[in-house]
Amino acid sequence: MDHLTALENKSIFIIREAYYRFRNIAVLWSIGKDSTTLLWHCRKAFFGKIPFPVLHIDTGYKFPEIYRYRDRYAKEWGLDLIVARNEEKIRSGMGPDKGSKLECCTELKTNALKAAIARHGFKAILLGIRRDEHGIRAKERVFSPRDGDFKWNYEDQPAELWDNYKSTTHEEDHYRIHPILHMTELDVWNYVKREEIPIIELYSSKEGKRYRSIGCQPCCSPIESRARTVDEIIEELTTTKTSERAGRAQDKEDAYTMQKLRSLGYM
Amino acid sequence: MEERSLHIVIVGHVDHGKSTLVGRLLYDTGSLAPEKYEEIKAASGGEGGSVEFAYVMDHLEEERKRGITIDVAHTFFQTAKRRYVIIDAPGHKEFLKNMITGSSQAEAALLLVDITQGVREQTRRHCCILGLLGIDQVAVLVNKMDVVNYSEEAFDSVKGDIESALSGVGVNPSYIIPVSAIKGDNVADRSPNLGWFKGPTVLEALDSFSSLGMEDKALRFPVQDIYDMDGTSVIVGRVESGSMHRGAEVCVFPEGRTARIREIRKFMADDIEEAATGECIGVCIEDGALRRGQVLTDGATPTRSGSIRANVFWMAGRAWHPEMELVWKGTTQEARARIERILKRFDPASIEVIEKDAEEILPAEVAEVEIRLEKEVVVDRFTEIPEMGRFVLEHLGEPVAGGIII
Amino acid sequence: MPRRAFNGRHARALVIGLDGVPHTLLRDYVDRGYLPETKRILDCGFALRRMDASIPDVSSTSWTSFMTGVNPGEHGIYGFMELEPGSYEMRFPNSADIMAPTLWEIIGRTSCGKRSTLCDRFGAAVDSPMRSVVLNIPQTYPATAINGVLTAGFVCPDLRKGTYPDSCYDYLMSIGYVPDVDSARAVEDRDGFIEELFMALEKRRKAFEHFFENEEWDLFIGVITETDRLHHFFFDGARDAAHPLHGTFISFYRKIDEIIGKLFNRFMELTRGEGLFLTMSDHGFSVVEQTVNVNAYLSKEGFLKKDVTRRYFDMIDTGTRAFAMDPSRIYINLECRYPRGSVSEADRTAVVEELKEKLLSINAPDGTPVIRALYEGSELYSGPHAGDGPDLVALAHEGFDLKAGLQQDRVFSKGVFKGMHTQNDAHCIMSKGLEAGDGLHIEDLAGLILDHLTT
Repeated sequence: MDHLTALENKSIFIIREAYYRFRNIAVLWSIGKDSTTLLWHCRKAFFGKIPFPVLHIDTGYKFPEIYRYRDRYAKEWGLDLIVARNEEKIRSGMGPDKGSKLECCTELKTNALKAAIARHGFKAILLGIRRDEHGIRAKERVFSPRDGDFKWNYEDQPAELWDNYKSTTHEEDHYRIHPILHMTELDVWNYVKREEIPIIELYSSKEGKRYRSIGCQPCCSPIESRARTVDEIIEELTTTKTSERAGRAQDKEDAYTMQKLRSLGYM
Repeated sequence: MEERSLHIVIVGHVDHGKSTLVGRLLYDTGSLAPEKYEEIKAASGGEGGSVEFAYVMDHLEEERKRGITIDVAHTFFQTAKRRYVIIDAPGHKEFLKNMITGSSQAEAALLLVDITQGVREQTRRHCCILGLLGIDQVAVLVNKMDVVNYSEEAFDSVKGDIESALSGVGVNPSYIIPVSAIKGDNVADRSPNLGWFKGPTVLEALDSFSSLGMEDKALRFPVQDIYDMDGTSVIVGRVESGSMHRGAEVCVFPEGRTARIREIRKFMADDIEEAATGECIGVCIEDGALRRGQVLTDGATPTRSGSIRANVFWMAGRAWHPEMELVWKGTTQEARARIERILKRFDPASIEVIEKDAEEILPAEVAEVEIRLEKEVVVDRFTEIPEMGRFVLEHLGEPVAGGIII
Repeated sequence: MPRRAFNGRHARALVIGLDGVPHTLLRDYVDRGYLPETKRILDCGFALRRMDASIPDVSSTSWTSFMTGVNPGEHGIYGFMELEPGSYEMRFPNSADIMAPTLWEIIGRTSCGKRSTLCDRFGAAVDSPMRSVVLNIPQTYPATAINGVLTAGFVCPDLRKGTYPDSCYDYLMSIGYVPDVDSARAVEDRDGFIEELFMALEKRRKAFEHFFENEEWDLFIGVITETDRLHHFFFDGARDAAHPLHGTFISFYRKIDEIIGKLFNRFMELTRGEGLFLTMSDHGFSVVEQTVNVNAYLSKEGFLKKDVTRRYFDMIDTGTRAFAMDPSRIYINLECRYPRGSVSEADRTAVVEELKEKLLSINAPDGTPVIRALYEGSELYSGPHAGDGPDLVALAHEGFDLKAGLQQDRVFSKGVFKGMHTQNDAHCIMSKGLEAGDGLHIEDLAGLILDHLTT
């Protein structure tokens, strides 16, 4: 069995396991390539008819392309789409420039998700996170219990072996399920190519720039790139393994310093 | 190049040069920038001596976050033959649970032994777990050969110790290779310093290993769930071993009755004749309803039993005691369970039997036990069909032990 | 010259820095019995004293005042950020910008010609070089060669460059030491962040104990930064028993208490009770009620004009008379100083007076005054670099957190931060016998330490 097929089967197994264990679940769809890949696996797991809601957290700040894409494929794929918005905060003008960026994310994303989980009583949420995204992800499990406050105790997680996942819950708990945890960014693009999954145009280069990840318009900035097709993106990812180094060190240090200062509220 | 990547785990005592080897493998296969390698080398050989593998990965990650270095695929490297994924498996005893979680996904292992230190407690514990997990593609790397001036005599004497230590835990290494991770001898390239050694380099050894699940075995298809698709009952699950054919007659265990496969379903694929090992599929059968936990089989008859004998390794922080209520979970099967007898318990570090007919199992210990289940389950011996020969025990919803059926 | 393990009279000094730990909170926690080790220390001849921080009360400035024992007019550090001379381009001063010699440079005889009033007072008394262990003090990046070992505190973009010598770096790497936690995720992943704080604290402890035992030193300074991080995001939990993190607060402080107690015991044992022991902080903390965006106010009052098509401080446009940089440093946009300067030297005094009047009249929406005190640079700073400082610095009443970003358009806002620095509530634990006058100031400590080490 080839690499991508093995990854796909692993994901489908996990999705079906989560559905069996909890029944009342939802898949989080940000419209990005990762969560769309996950959605694709869900469609495969249930022979084209996903038996649970597809949850989209709308901050009101998404790119217009996102809404168009979402509505088109929600219809085409027959999704039970739930759009969750923190209406109160959106109306009150919350935004990355109003409070801080963190506060904005907390209100419009985290709290909107919390509210949706509470309202629909979801016991588990499928998420398209990947292990290679971020350092802390290396410690993630496939079935990751969170308490009512979204707490994740990553120092002491249940062991996972041989596809046996811990799934017991307390009243207020929910689980985060990560079916594509094992895929890398490159795997996702190769899979998108093989499966011909429709991908939002923001990933393609326009006037020398494209988005490497997509979310809210004010907080996403494009990277320099000429890659317009999936093939070109794959080519770009495989050839730009080592990044630029010497000569830019001061810029890098400054960028680091700014990020640190910003996280403490300076600047 | 092979399509599928091979998952490997690197184990050994925390001081024996794991992070240097990782750095070296990434570097020599062109997956790591030279400055990074220097940094890892410095960190590993520094005063403190030991650097956890996980730490190296974290450190690389920290660098990536700051945008200073490379892209994220550090845990991956490739040879002309195939891609490799290195699984993080921390060395310390406290991380046993994580080491087991990591190692359980590996198809091959590299075991590091420092020539100046020989076989240590952690080395033995790790070997024991490799043995229990059934990882039989193991290459032992005798590291730091540069420190002993690449002496063949020194190597031979450690080699003997290693062989005797490993045979005690049922691990039969495919190779024992003298290397120096820090200097790069015998890792990717054959070293003139070790001209007396006629065996393979580390990469050659890895390339000689095979991905698992390739052999032709009997069909085992545990039912994962039943979906109602417009009035049709579709049985979903994964082919754990062997293959499933349309029109074939299969046995439904544990009942033992037969059924015929009418259709194999996958989304966006029509007219499927056959499903191979590892595929997640849906099937429709001609007669009778099924439920989760039943197993469709052909070929060799599996064992159907309410009592099994197994080796278990205790991962929980608390000891086992006879009143403990357990749940046995193997593939999609589940049953309440009780450990009825502890035939013997032993310390994986020394492999000495601590006690026969024991009353308790302490954390990080291994025991041979007899498990009584509330109902019959379908299993195979681990050595025959590993997917059907392994299980987890849970207590109050927490996984407390892993086991293999002997 | 032979290296001394210590100067033979048990005159060593140990300083434990606790970033942002307020005098009042420490007092409170001791009284409630949360900190048994600190209590024990206070019961054997030590006093917990209130201390003034530097103005502005930002870590980079305050710590530099501590380590040089002089005011910003002499050491030249006024904040984490400055503008390049003759431009609005931001730069981030680092250890190379500290214009006065540090404690360890003075006693290690490595000040390389740098002078200060403190150095002039004590330099001659250092007959042979003494060794220092300097761990995690902010503003010490990149590390320079010192007589001893040093690893830099915040901001430390590259631990290798932040550490001297390499063997010290190797050790830190081997224990997985981290220069800082990832505060960016404090809100989104609160518990992960808390875990990380405990982890980082544990690494500090490990490093402190290692260098304490394995290095030869006369002066040992170890700083814990994690308190500041905890406070910034969750200071409302410090006293509120109903706060979900109140218990975390206490256990975090208890952990620090254990670290202090253990080092104290070892130190007293080593010096037969004659060493100088200090704990201190660079500022205090109080709960934020509202963020006050100084630049938004300056815009509103017509002092600041922005061209939003440009970035950062380059937004400052022609017509601007004054602007602010974090936390509350106000600069007059002088013609002779900035490319789009709009105030002549002659008008400077008038603009300053007008600003003072306006700033003192800022009231919160409910009518409470915001500004507690307003100082002109010339009142605060003296020395060769006094002219590089701000024209005005504002201090706010408790609860009002002054900020000087340029993005905010509203004067009053609420952010994710629950704690703010305070200038007059830093702490110091020192021997009761030390003569330190009434109003203890962070600049005073270096003199006490040098006095102890050289007599």
